[in-house]
Amino acid sequence: MKKIYIVAGIMVVVAIGLLMSAAKDMGTFGTFAEAEQSGAKVKISGQLSKDKEMYYNPEEDPNYFSFYITDSQGDERKVVLRAGKPQDFELSEQIVVTGTMQNDVFLATDMLMKCPSKYKDDEIYVKSQG
Amino acid sequence: MEPIQYIGEHLLPGKIGHFAVVLGFVAGLTAALSYFFATRHRESEAFNSWRRLGRFAFLTHGAAIFSVIGMLFYVMVNQYYEYQYVWAHVSDDLPMKYIFSAFWEGQEGSFLLWMFWHVVLGILLIISAKEWESPTMAVLAIVQVFINSMLLGIYFGDVKIGSNPTLLLRDTMDAPIFANADYLSLIKGNGLNPLLQNWWMTIHPPTLFLGFASTTIPFAFAIAGLWTRQHRAWIQPAMPWALFSAAILGTGIVMGAAWAYEALSFGGYWAWDPVENMSLVPWLMLLAGIHTNLIARSTGHSIRSTYVYYILTFLLILYSTFMTRSGILGETSAHAFTEMGLEWQLVLFIGAFLGLSAVLLARRYREVPAPPKEEPTASKEFWMFIGSLVLLFSALLITASTSLPVYNSIVKFFNPEFRGRVITDVVPHYNKYQLWIGVFMGLLSGFSQYLRFRETNWGKHWRPFAIHTAAALLLSGVLTFLLLQWITAQAWQYQLLLFAGVFTVVTNLDYIATFLRGNLKAGGSVVSHLGFGLMIVGILASGLNKKYISSNPFVMDGLIEGADDDLYKRNILLFKGNTMLMSGYEVTYVSDTLDGFTRTYTVNYKRRNAQGQVIEDFNLYPNILYDKSFTKIAASNPSTKQYGFKDIFTNITTLAQVEIDLEYRRQREDSLNYRLREAAIGETIAFVDTVPVRDRDTFVLKRYELRVESINRRPASPDYQPQPGDLPIGATVSIRREDDDSTYVVQPMVALRGQLIYSYPVQINDLSAKVRLNDEIFNRAFVFDEQLDYKEYRLRQGEKVRIGELEVALTQFLPRPQHPDYQPQEGDIAIGAMLEVTRPDGQRFTARPIYLIRGSQGLGIKDVVEALGLNVGFASFDPQTESGQFFIAQAPQPQAFKVPVEVATDALRSDYIVLEAIEFPGINFVWLGMTLMMIGLTVSMAHRIGQQRRPGTEN
Repeated sequence: MKKIYIVAGIMVVVAIGLLMSAAKDMGTFGTFAEAEQSGAKVKISGQLSKDKEMYYNPEEDPNYFSFYITDSQGDERKVVLRAGKPQDFELSEQIVVTGTMQNDVFLATDMLMKCPSKYKDDEIYVKSQG
Repeated sequence: MEPIQYIGEHLLPGKIGHFAVVLGFVAGLTAALSYFFATRHRESEAFNSWRRLGRFAFLTHGAAIFSVIGMLFYVMVNQYYEYQYVWAHVSDDLPMKYIFSAFWEGQEGSFLLWMFWHVVLGILLIISAKEWESPTMAVLAIVQVFINSMLLGIYFGDVKIGSNPTLLLRDTMDAPIFANADYLSLIKGNGLNPLLQNWWMTIHPPTLFLGFASTTIPFAFAIAGLWTRQHRAWIQPAMPWALFSAAILGTGIVMGAAWAYEALSFGGYWAWDPVENMSLVPWLMLLAGIHTNLIARSTGHSIRSTYVYYILTFLLILYSTFMTRSGILGETSAHAFTEMGLEWQLVLFIGAFLGLSAVLLARRYREVPAPPKEEPTASKEFWMFIGSLVLLFSALLITASTSLPVYNSIVKFFNPEFRGRVITDVVPHYNKYQLWIGVFMGLLSGFSQYLRFRETNWGKHWRPFAIHTAAALLLSGVLTFLLLQWITAQAWQYQLLLFAGVFTVVTNLDYIATFLRGNLKAGGSVVSHLGFGLMIVGILASGLNKKYISSNPFVMDGLIEGADDDLYKRNILLFKGNTMLMSGYEVTYVSDTLDGFTRTYTVNYKRRNAQGQVIEDFNLYPNILYDKSFTKIAASNPSTKQYGFKDIFTNITTLAQVEIDLEYRRQREDSLNYRLREAAIGETIAFVDTVPVRDRDTFVLKRYELRVESINRRPASPDYQPQPGDLPIGATVSIRREDDDSTYVVQPMVALRGQLIYSYPVQINDLSAKVRLNDEIFNRAFVFDEQLDYKEYRLRQGEKVRIGELEVALTQFLPRPQHPDYQPQEGDIAIGAMLEVTRPDGQRFTARPIYLIRGSQGLGIKDVVEALGLNVGFASFDPQTESGQFFIAQAPQPQAFKVPVEVATDALRSDYIVLEAIEFPGINFVWLGMTLMMIGLTVSMAHRIGQQRRPGTEN
């Protein structure tokens, strides 16, 4: 048998091994309840609760931003992000946060915002003057 | 209903453009078919006429595509908002330098850019490919047909084929505004996303799309080789194209990384975002192909793998197009295109070329020549092939993880209940596996340089190989140890990767010195591998030791239990003028200036040595871009200080809300608790007011002393720009608070312009107070003309009149008069008068009024002798008698009046920035390494092209 095939064979085995082990890097989009139970790092995709307070006061702490999101189970919780408040935050609808539950708040280490497309097809901006 | 006759629309360009889109499609199809038949009949008489037709059709196609592009630019430059594409991507305030960026912001424009490059490359193929022209052009043309179909915008029932960029806005949406025949005068464009208003957006997409387009050429050669059964012959001509493509695509990727690092506030150059991954993967595959292509050229081995790699490269480009344009990435990517509803068409595009390649490869696979004898283990080709497998392996792993959203969609299609899986921690996931790829590639591209192709005399050559390898290993070990004093890498895996990178650098430098003797012409690969090694070192240095230096030691801890330390302390709050100590730097927010929508901040960094002397002093200029309504920050652009071995990256995270939102600022100003205080000039008054305690709903009472020092009739304020006709007035006010030793002197002012009063309050940060003048000051400080009793006088030079107790004499007329209220303009005819006023006590004053003719109108500019309250107007001048007509009135002696000052003691200061500063050590190794990789590829390409011109030379 050719040496190349042996090498290729080893690689395939390694690849399968890696992909198997990679499975534990993957999770489903979780819920707050799951995060609470497991205590592990969870990725949650939820809707921003626009009626609830979004608290950011840089004079007090420029690295503390809190807001509320509702997960896929309809569970609404407070999320704390230890960073500045991102621009355009109010415009986002879907928020994906990664982090853990600490007591009653979800402490996010990472956040991804999905803003609705900048150009809504049903909106035409009208000139403000003439 | 009668059709509306719309006003001001330009319909012709759209019609031309639409015709050109269809023409391009038809001509492309004709070119593909003609070249197909030319290839089939390549040994018969019909060949020439088919090829001629193919060329003609392709050039027609090219002309059509250029016309569409030209037409689209034309309507964009002219801001014809009746076109949907113009409306969506252009706006009145978009600077022309961003018109290219706006062009390829949208999917249609970027498809056109891609096709533009295909046309250019196609013409190069026609010129240079000789016997390969017909089969490769057939492939290129059919690719063009597929892309062109994305622009057709034709409906079959409910099925949409393509999205036409020449459509009118009123045809793409249904809005009540289109009932107005003059709707064009009412609408304005959306404009380019502010994040993309950046010069990187001008150069990154064209480079990347040239990279995309150029991968089609090696693919076309591979298909041509399989199709015409010339399995060996295509290997040589494909090589320079593949090298070209790798250099350009690589450059495009590097530009994207540099953009992310330098201009976007991502805080890094690579984030394993799906969009980034899907541009990297085809490049890795292309590199694998280049390695086997070289083996095939030199030894005749690996032709099959070369076929597979070049085909996979192109298919991955299509897959990447699908991923970034179909919207399937959804929640997993920060920057994909917006959806266009062409998913199925993109799938068909991939499917067609996947099917074509698979069938062709399967049918021809057995006949592809392969030497019966295996590569010797000690030969260069053996280890290069292993290297290509490692690249393939890397590409497959990245693709597998990045494709997670695709699996999710497929499973969801059969099982709607499926929740979908995501990678929880993206960056560590990829780093974990690619680290090992890096180790292998580093070691392989090190020692394999010492090996030779088709090694037949290993018995003689093993000795130098062993010596060089052993010496390089030893030297790399030492260097790695030294580097680890600079780069903190705890995990042994990182140390091993660092070693592999250093080993590559050492071996390739050694190879340049001892084997090439400095001759780099044939050493493109050595330069590239050297670059790879340097890049690894740079990635480790900047990635592992990236440090947030904007940590604030005073921030309150313990708000959240169990938070990691490095989680917070990333941002620092910096008040204007105050200096903060930040990781050894004294950082000061010095000033800011607003220009258009961009506010640029000057942030000063200083470092002192132990003796307190300043050893380093520099400014950084991060900026923020407001949106059009000044109610939010649309983008923030970092600024970076570059050293040889590190970068300091500074970005503005956010500002006070009043600085972000003009609307909020107004509300805030209105809500301040201003109280009126009145004091005569020189008088000191005392008052008590409340001061809020930050973050608690309590107030404390404080005693203040306020003194009006003087009235300013020519006041200045940083925000006030004087205009002719303004009536400004200011006051100098000093204020003191009982618990503060300093006295603060401020100069608030107000200005009357037409019917409007503009107020310029002054903030005293240390007292959290704001001071402004009450509008009432106008009535107290000024006597308005209406209230004066003007009398007319006609005076010649030397004449005197008596007004009350005053004696007024006209001394002379001045030809070139000057007055603070007079700004000379081109064409003015102006004459000034100098009047001497004598008081009974003998004190003299002068008044200098002006009379001028501007256009056809005469107007006078009066002068006021403040001390006397004397108003002198100059109404006309009679050249014949050399006399002037004057209106003079004396106001009643100004009485001492109280200056109405308003003080709010609850104005917390808002002149701060929230700053993020990161130190990236060794980042320059990343850029240098990447640049060397691209230079190496380019050198190799030039070398191969040179070889083809001189057939028979072998390396």
